[in-house]
Amino acid sequence: MAFDIDSLSAAQIAAGVAAGDFSAREVAQAALANVESREGDVHAFLEVSSELALQAADAIDAKRAAGEQLPPMAGVPCAFKDNMHLVGTHCTCASRMLENYQSTFTATAVQRMLDAGCIPVGKTNMDEFAFGSSTESSAFGPTCNPRDLGCVPGGSSGGSAAAVAAGMTTVTLGSDTGGSIRQPAAFCGVVGMKPTYGMVSRYGVVAFGSSLDQVGPFGRTVEDVALSMNALAGRDLRDCTSQPWNTDFLAHLHDGVAGKRIGVIPSLTHAEGVSAEVSEAIEAAAANLASAGAELVEVELPNAAAAISAYYVLAPCEAFSNLARFDGVRYGHQCADPRDLADMSSRSRAEGFGPEVKRRIMLGAYLLSSGVYDTYYYPAQQVRALITQDYKNAFQKVDAVLMPSAPFTAFKFGELSNPTQMYMADMFTVPLNIAGNCGVSVPVGLGRETGRPVGAQLIGPAFADDQLLRIAATLQGFYPELPVSKDFAKGEQR
Amino acid sequence: MTLSQKDVRGIADYARIALTDEELVEMTDYMNDAVANVLDTIRSYDLEGVEPVFHPIGDLSNVMRDDVPAQGLPLEVALENAGQTEGRFFRVPSILGDGGAA
Repeated sequence: MAFDIDSLSAAQIAAGVAAGDFSAREVAQAALANVESREGDVHAFLEVSSELALQAADAIDAKRAAGEQLPPMAGVPCAFKDNMHLVGTHCTCASRMLENYQSTFTATAVQRMLDAGCIPVGKTNMDEFAFGSSTESSAFGPTCNPRDLGCVPGGSSGGSAAAVAAGMTTVTLGSDTGGSIRQPAAFCGVVGMKPTYGMVSRYGVVAFGSSLDQVGPFGRTVEDVALSMNALAGRDLRDCTSQPWNTDFLAHLHDGVAGKRIGVIPSLTHAEGVSAEVSEAIEAAAANLASAGAELVEVELPNAAAAISAYYVLAPCEAFSNLARFDGVRYGHQCADPRDLADMSSRSRAEGFGPEVKRRIMLGAYLLSSGVYDTYYYPAQQVRALITQDYKNAFQKVDAVLMPSAPFTAFKFGELSNPTQMYMADMFTVPLNIAGNCGVSVPVGLGRETGRPVGAQLIGPAFADDQLLRIAATLQGFYPELPVSKDFAKGEQR
Repeated sequence: MTLSQKDVRGIADYARIALTDEELVEMTDYMNDAVANVLDTIRSYDLEGVEPVFHPIGDLSNVMRDDVPAQGLPLEVALENAGQTEGRFFRVPSILGDGGAA
């Protein structure tokens, strides 16, 4: 039968495939047709895996024909940030360093989505090695925001957010080290979740900051994100930080917020640098939750201002260490005619890495050097203790905290050209990665001035991800769903 | 403290990133900007007596499991992304710098 994939949620697609209303192959073909017609404007993908998608779809259809029970996301189109391994595709991290790298194994998070029945549409664009907040640092060109092609989609998981907003896939996976899921979700008007550290396996995801990284889903609805979390969460023996977890994220999703206490922080919502339209939208979101029966409680995160400094100490240090593996020997770019091994490493890295990657590595190398370590790295870990304690104190009073996902809506290409100015745009997202608890960005309408999506960030205690999604679902219910962006005005591109 | 170009050249050597003279100027500016405007705030906090936290999941113990033999990456797969190989090995240029280019 004819169907409009743009208007279907993940759950509706899976139900339609299971009922035989349409086949998984028809869904895959519809998603690939959307990629064909929209990708030229958006550039959300670094690789489209048509063959893998059709193979996976045919396997689902064969299962159904054989009378087997279908998995919960059977036939749902999905794409993966290009820092996640999937056999049969490249894994470039949007870097020349890995331009020709072919994955030799599949990441656990990716495999779990496939096991849940998802159809792999491709690999999505990102800031190079996830260092950035705009996807402008991709070595293969930026992604455009489907809501306004002249704007960035956010980052670093910009391609994953844009692919969902443009309806080229129904759900995607991203990774979030300092806001890289929540901020692009806000910019593109979709839902994006950073689960609690340890909720989802990091095995097979190219490491940036190992104590900060977490994989999470994007979808157009909180329900699609919850469905994806059901597939993703749980222990993986290959990642010893992953925790045994057996929660049904859908079970209480629609139970409402009556009696829930929501923390609000007026000093943060109106902090310097936060645009008026964002502050207003967050206040309206709080009022909506209150009208649904939640109690608003003012809380404080007194050390929030220290988080940016702590993050930009910790993350480059961890990145410096993680990216040491790219030496031109076992994989990755190798320079021509090296003099010796040291020359090969230095020139391969110089040629393979882009400017922002070099900046982060250099900063990490400096911060970990003798004498400097005690000045920055150790204090940053002390600040981490303070921030973690701030959240613990807040969560004794409230079930979740509400704040913006980003201080402003999507910005124009090139608007934040100074790297350190870009870093400050992460002020609302990085504290969460430092403390490790969970957060989700929910679209709460369009900004009064810019007309671009505003994201409200809900933050919950560690391993209360299901309860957080329940509050997010209630909040999203107050807003009309942003339709898929597909009719791109010509001449609007940058 | 301000980093000089000489300092930054030393860090680049240590980080194994060859920088051109032009890149060195830009990188020095960037690092001084980042230290002064983003990182130095950390020094303004009174952290006396605060126990550092090195990981978001603090109260965990070591994970132990039985040592079970399993298949690793097959040799040919492990080698397939390498720039240069020879037989069963990755091929690299001279490590000590004298003799045989790769």
